[in-house]
Amino acid sequence: MTKVRQLPYGELAENGLNIRLAMEEATRCLLCDDAPCSHDCPAGTDPGRFIRAIRFRNFKGAARIIRENNILGATCAEICPQERLCEKACSRCGIDKPINIGRLQAFAMSMEKDMKFQVLEAGKPCGKKVACIGAGPSSLAVAAELAKKGVSVTILDENEKAGGVLRYGITPSRLSDDVIDQDIKAVTDLGVKIVLNKHVSKDDLCALMAEYDAVYVGVGQSASKMIPNMKGADLKGVDTALPFLKKARIANGKIGDLGNVVIIGGGDVAMDCASTARQCGAKSVTVSFVETWETMPASKKEVDYVVDLGVTIIPAFKPLEVIGDDKVSAVKLAAMEGNSSMTLDADTVIFAVGQKVSDDYKDIKADGKLFVGGDAALVRGATVVEAVKSGKEIAEAIAKFLQI
Amino acid sequence: MSKKVDLSIDFLGVHCENPFFLSSSPVCHNYEMIAKCFDLGWGGVFYKTVGINGMNECSPRFDNVRKEDIGWVGFKNMEQISEHCWQENAEIIKRLKHDYPTKVMGVSIMGANEEEWALLAREMTKAGADMLELNFSCPQMTSHAMGSDVGQTPELVEKYTRVVKENTNVPVIAKMTPNISHMEVPSKAAVKGGADAISSINTIKSICNLDLENVTGMPVVNGKSSISGYSGAAVKPIALRFLAQLKMDKDLANVPVSGIGGIETWQDAVEFLLLGAENLQVTTSVMQYGYRVVEDMKDGLEIFMLEHGFTSLRDFIGKALPNIIPCEDLDRDFQIIPEIHDDLCVRCGRCAISCYDGGHQAIEIEKGTRKPLITDKCVGCHLCLNVCPVLGAITPGFIKFKPGRTPHDVVIKHTYDR
Repeated sequence: MTKVRQLPYGELAENGLNIRLAMEEATRCLLCDDAPCSHDCPAGTDPGRFIRAIRFRNFKGAARIIRENNILGATCAEICPQERLCEKACSRCGIDKPINIGRLQAFAMSMEKDMKFQVLEAGKPCGKKVACIGAGPSSLAVAAELAKKGVSVTILDENEKAGGVLRYGITPSRLSDDVIDQDIKAVTDLGVKIVLNKHVSKDDLCALMAEYDAVYVGVGQSASKMIPNMKGADLKGVDTALPFLKKARIANGKIGDLGNVVIIGGGDVAMDCASTARQCGAKSVTVSFVETWETMPASKKEVDYVVDLGVTIIPAFKPLEVIGDDKVSAVKLAAMEGNSSMTLDADTVIFAVGQKVSDDYKDIKADGKLFVGGDAALVRGATVVEAVKSGKEIAEAIAKFLQI
Repeated sequence: MSKKVDLSIDFLGVHCENPFFLSSSPVCHNYEMIAKCFDLGWGGVFYKTVGINGMNECSPRFDNVRKEDIGWVGFKNMEQISEHCWQENAEIIKRLKHDYPTKVMGVSIMGANEEEWALLAREMTKAGADMLELNFSCPQMTSHAMGSDVGQTPELVEKYTRVVKENTNVPVIAKMTPNISHMEVPSKAAVKGGADAISSINTIKSICNLDLENVTGMPVVNGKSSISGYSGAAVKPIALRFLAQLKMDKDLANVPVSGIGGIETWQDAVEFLLLGAENLQVTTSVMQYGYRVVEDMKDGLEIFMLEHGFTSLRDFIGKALPNIIPCEDLDRDFQIIPEIHDDLCVRCGRCAISCYDGGHQAIEIEKGTRKPLITDKCVGCHLCLNVCPVLGAITPGFIKFKPGRTPHDVVIKHTYDR
């Protein structure tokens, strides 16, 4: 048996639980008093409560409990770093291993698809109109909260499909179109309109502000950062994370011969680049980053996943230069401590060293009826579940401004 | 949600905000417990049986039955009726009724003779009971003039019910014992004595486990043990059977029943309602998980009703009764041959083992591939479907009519979710 997992591009990394398997996992739950897992979700999801609902076969009730609190409940089930949030505190750790909360949440959300009624309903129309720029997690969360309050919300996004970073920045093996569509349906079921293929530049904001009672800029961090003055960065074969991931997503993994791939960066986005490169048929994939195993930002789940796929990981090395003539042929790396250095053959080099707000929206500030939030307001990008949390807060602020 | 469903029901003329009540048991014997259960959303309680004097209890007093890794399949309890005297209980009931006027205070009572039954009926009515439940069924009383010994004697049931009716103006429910072959008999006696409804079932006499260390039963009380009441999920099938028999008896069909026995989930609750129960009582799952179990019972019941278009409980109470028929009336013209789904089968062979050793030797395992194949010997018993560890790997397949029988439409089950 091969030691390396073969997983075609787009195929799910983890299968969903059926009722029997979900009951097995829910039966492991200790149904704690004042469950510790329920204190650790940024968005305020209450795993103790929804797992208890599953345990007592109230499957659709579990979905309702999640959805009422988290408009991106299906997405968060798949991509939340549960091991450092809800699962970290699980009392079951005192016996063996934590409850697989993410899988149970995904199971509950799969039951929502069969529901014959709509969980969330729009509020009574209050006569106010809000535009949200960008159809990523933060805008979706803001839009849903406002729609619940009776605001007429329109989301404008430059891409062909809604979802922003969910759709184009995360590999479909971890987050499928189906799951994204399920969450987006919950938003549009609230009456939120999504206008796609519509780029809104900073200059268009004035017109929008004249038309709407408030405008929310939730454009996220859609541009990739690059290490300044990196030698060889302009060689053919050098790319940055988000363009690479988006290219793969649009082409459904058919992006030609990548050869030997080296990825620079130790976060979840770097891991997504690694698995994507692997699934797109790269000859070899190596990830290197300046942090150590302990301090690298990627979640353990993602690291384990790419290692399973046969990716080599080299911690505590920094890139010195990309070598090549017209096209990249190698990367030179040096150890963070000591004098070790190495040169790795490379046909493709992907820098996954962080994201930033696109130049167009750089330094945009909230002002009057203009609100800015999500990753667009942050120095460092946050998780989706944090976007949901801040989305709720921004919606409150907008509602206050609109006096509704 | 715009489409609201109504979980409330008028039971014996008493408005209950939902059908979920605590049954008379260790889960409701003082003010604090009942206040908490009301706060968490229970519709009412049947206050732990009030007697003349408090009980003298043993320690320990509980045991449970495990099956593989699942505990509490069944639960054994040796506790008797209230540990307080009736005067103390009357005070607690008064306070609860005052503080929770919209909740329903059923009070369970038990006397040893007519005078005691009369006194308890009068005093508990005075204390504010909305209904009285007569405990003819506790199987672990230290007095043989009380409990299930009484419930097995129709004359006593009738006599004591009549005494209670003469001493109260609130509805009276007789709580019956399952430790009898025909519950209809004492139930009819209770109705004859004036009972307005029946509660069914109390616990089943049991010895759950033997303790090999002390060579006695569990729990071990100073080296000895006793027969006592068994409850929980394991008794639900027996409770549903008694309920169906009560509701299908022509003399009792219109007598309301409060259903009891192993209710843990909203599905259990729906099952009791479909067989005609108008009120539901719970203890064992509360002892294991707490009063909070009511949250998913109510939530799940609401979703079930929403999805089925029911707006009130009476839309479906008793709906399954016409479909429970005598064995001799079942359609026996056909065999439903199971279908094994190759894509889901993991080749464990459990179906073949069970089919050979407990069925009709109708599953062969293909050499090399380990694939189970159903042969012509299959009689459609579905033992394989019951034993298969993979949900959905074996489902009902084609319908084969027995020789000489006329093919006709057959209603089959499609979804298996356990």
